[in-house]
Amino acid sequence: MNRQSRALLSVLLLGLVAVMGWRWWSSPQDHADQATEIVFSDVSTRGGVLTSSLRSEPRTFNRWVDRNFPPELISQITQSKLIRINRSTQEIEPALAQSWTASPDNQTFTLALRDAAWSDGTPFTSADVLFTFKAVYDPKVNSVLASSLQVGGQPLAVTAPDAHTVVIKYPGPFGPGIAMLDNLPIAPKHKLEAALTAGTFAQAWGVATPANELVSLGPFVLSRYEPGQRLVFDRNPRYWKKDASGAALPNLDQLILEVVPDQNAELVRLQAGQIDMLQQQVRPEDIATLRPLVDQGKLQLLELGVSTDPDLFFFNLRPEQWAKDPRRAWIARKEFRQAISHAVDREAFTNTVFLGAGVPIWGPITPGNQKWFSPNVPRYGFSIDKAKELLAGLGLANRDADEWLEDEQGTEARFTLLTYRGNSSLERGSAVLREDLRPLGIAVDVVALEQGALTERLVKGDFEAIAFFFSSSNLDPAMNPDFWLSSGSGHIWNIAQATPATEWEKQIDELMHKMTSGTDQAQRKQDFDQVQKIFAENLPVIYFVAPRMYMGVSSRVGSMSPSILRPQLLWAADTLTVRATGATGQGGR
Amino acid sequence: MGRYLLRRLGFALLLVLTVSSASLLLTHLAPGDITSEQSLTLDPAARARLRAELGLDRPLAVQYVTWLGGAVQLDFGRSLLYARPVSSLVSERALNTAVLATVALFLATVIGLPLGVYSGSRSRGLGRAVVRVLSIVALSVPPLIGSLALVFLAARTGWLPVGGMTSAAGFDSTWADWLADLARHLPIPALALALPLAATLERLQSQAIAKAVHEPFVAASRARGLDQMQAVIRHAWPVSLRSVLGLYGVMIGALFSGSFVVEVVTSWPGLGRLMYDALKARDLYLVAGCAASGAFFLAAGTLLADVLLAFADPRVRSEEAR
Repeated sequence: MNRQSRALLSVLLLGLVAVMGWRWWSSPQDHADQATEIVFSDVSTRGGVLTSSLRSEPRTFNRWVDRNFPPELISQITQSKLIRINRSTQEIEPALAQSWTASPDNQTFTLALRDAAWSDGTPFTSADVLFTFKAVYDPKVNSVLASSLQVGGQPLAVTAPDAHTVVIKYPGPFGPGIAMLDNLPIAPKHKLEAALTAGTFAQAWGVATPANELVSLGPFVLSRYEPGQRLVFDRNPRYWKKDASGAALPNLDQLILEVVPDQNAELVRLQAGQIDMLQQQVRPEDIATLRPLVDQGKLQLLELGVSTDPDLFFFNLRPEQWAKDPRRAWIARKEFRQAISHAVDREAFTNTVFLGAGVPIWGPITPGNQKWFSPNVPRYGFSIDKAKELLAGLGLANRDADEWLEDEQGTEARFTLLTYRGNSSLERGSAVLREDLRPLGIAVDVVALEQGALTERLVKGDFEAIAFFFSSSNLDPAMNPDFWLSSGSGHIWNIAQATPATEWEKQIDELMHKMTSGTDQAQRKQDFDQVQKIFAENLPVIYFVAPRMYMGVSSRVGSMSPSILRPQLLWAADTLTVRATGATGQGGR
Repeated sequence: MGRYLLRRLGFALLLVLTVSSASLLLTHLAPGDITSEQSLTLDPAARARLRAELGLDRPLAVQYVTWLGGAVQLDFGRSLLYARPVSSLVSERALNTAVLATVALFLATVIGLPLGVYSGSRSRGLGRAVVRVLSIVALSVPPLIGSLALVFLAARTGWLPVGGMTSAAGFDSTWADWLADLARHLPIPALALALPLAATLERLQSQAIAKAVHEPFVAASRARGLDQMQAVIRHAWPVSLRSVLGLYGVMIGALFSGSFVVEVVTSWPGLGRLMYDALKARDLYLVAGCAASGAFFLAAGTLLADVLLAFADPRVRSEEAR
């Protein structure tokens, strides 16, 4: 046998092994299932362990100084608020305040606190509420919650006539009313007062804090943190809430958050039954992967609805950005943005970027936010002709042999689009936008950056255009003033203006102030509809598609109240149940 | 030998300081700082207060000299991200990485070297061809794909846990149970790291042995009556190790400073992930601490490889003696 024959035989043998392996791989895997079979007959609604994934680790357990997702999630699991907005129904529910009354002007609220105790047995009283407000408003603490607990830039005045009553006076009228208190988890005075006095509150409750120091008023209490691996929460036996039958909540004995940084590995763990749910929604490209397990009854694919946080695209509209730029005559004009909106086929965008699971949108408020969505805004249907007409009106025409438009000075219609590296929908969406604008004669140079670098460029105003996303935690626009008001730090196209740069921004400011301070809900909606109309006419931010969101959950999980907002299921961790399993291979369950 | 070791130790310290300093300075040069991600939600005054609290408003030279003063005393400062001493964070994760790296190094060695000796000592044969093809495949597959393939294999078969270092239930178990749990979690990440290294070792060992078997002293040993395998093992192999052991220094440095890709895909809580998180958040001091750790392991690995080589190859000992 010569050398060539042996090499050929080797390749053939390897090929044979690969084919046999593939046939075994793709055939039904009974052997894998034997070890992890779920016994559905033994149904239990109390007890058990639920395991979810967590994509990044907490940097601190101190929710009052960190707005990232891990401390927010941990706060939802271990802490309680005075009132709570039901993430599923958007209704206000009693929490630590079992009832309240409002003054006729809706600016003073008297809250009756329930009898409750911290997980270490210390009674919860109005002193904890006063302490929490004091900590949040302390400038040395630099609390990330401070700005969300102000009206017109002024803090709330909080007093406590007795141990079970709190009176909260707003400095002015505020449309969302008592819903604002949903932003504030109550802190334990007996554990954190010393840190506040010493000026070290911001450093308190770091990740090295012993678990028994992290007392809880919520359904669970942190029992251990294994850095890089998991957080384990045990049932809080002193949790104040009961279910409809009067039984103490939570239903679960234990909740585990497994740290799984990679999204692919997270999906594999769900498929293998080693976690019960993903941290957040399933990516569109993964839905087909999960379908067979849904058909086999091992997984549930919950449709949460249309996302309320769609990807967005915007130009830098700071006048100084374009003052010396030869493109200043057209790039910051609303007609240019309208032309772009016309040039994007939103149906095709949905199919390419979200594999069909999305709806076309024309503004920041999507149909997912039913209460505030307005369908009556200007829409820019797909029309290359209309787009070309608008561009011609700006003096842009193809004046040479290449495919790009030029203005009268010969400056090419070209801009640089920054986007967030590693986010598949933004990267695909930016590529689609570049291709959609090519037939129009507009060249787009897409540059993907790390999130920190992108945010830094955004804040400094060092960009031409950005494709990005934001996560909101509240659906009432009055609770997101930073985005709408021209003075806001989240007014991304022209941040923190001393006075409104344009007439339409001034109009939006006035309408937002009116709807924020108004108490007539119908009038507030009407005012905000007008805001959306002005916004869609001027298009400071262009929206194309809002994805439909799906959540992948093990079939053994029950009593869920899915929400479109993060955390989609664990916001109501106290009512979740798991079916008992006969599993021996379910990740140690 | 003592002077040689002292010289190498001095070189190691210099390497650690240079690499960690360069990491700190380069991270500082990158756009943004640890407060960047809050810049859309903090007003400028609050952000400035935060930067002052973290000491980021001081000139770079002052920050660097302060840090350097601590670093020479093995105090690498406090992580801006976790508000904990860098040394405790790094040592915690370095231990996890060391466990994984040791097993991966062992696997790579026991797979790669024997196969290299086997394929290098034969000029033809089906076995040699199969080994070569497998090595090329293992070398060609990117670490991300290799790790994901192993994770998928674990998920499909259910033989091994898909990720993590231990299971949640293993925490309260006895030492023996904990070790057994750890042993169940090790194969996937260890193989993901070991297979490409084993292939590298196999290729290198194969070429070195193929060259060594043609040395006159190997032919002489055959003439004295040793069979082919004995001549290869006793005479050709020690000589061939010179080039192979040279690679060990780099391998140890790379393995013990943590593989980001493998650690992320297999959820292994090691140094690679810590370094990535630190870089993403622009945590200067943690980046410098992780880089110092990697440089230390690289220096230690190179030194260890040199010492092993001195034991394995008599020519190296005589060179050192001169």
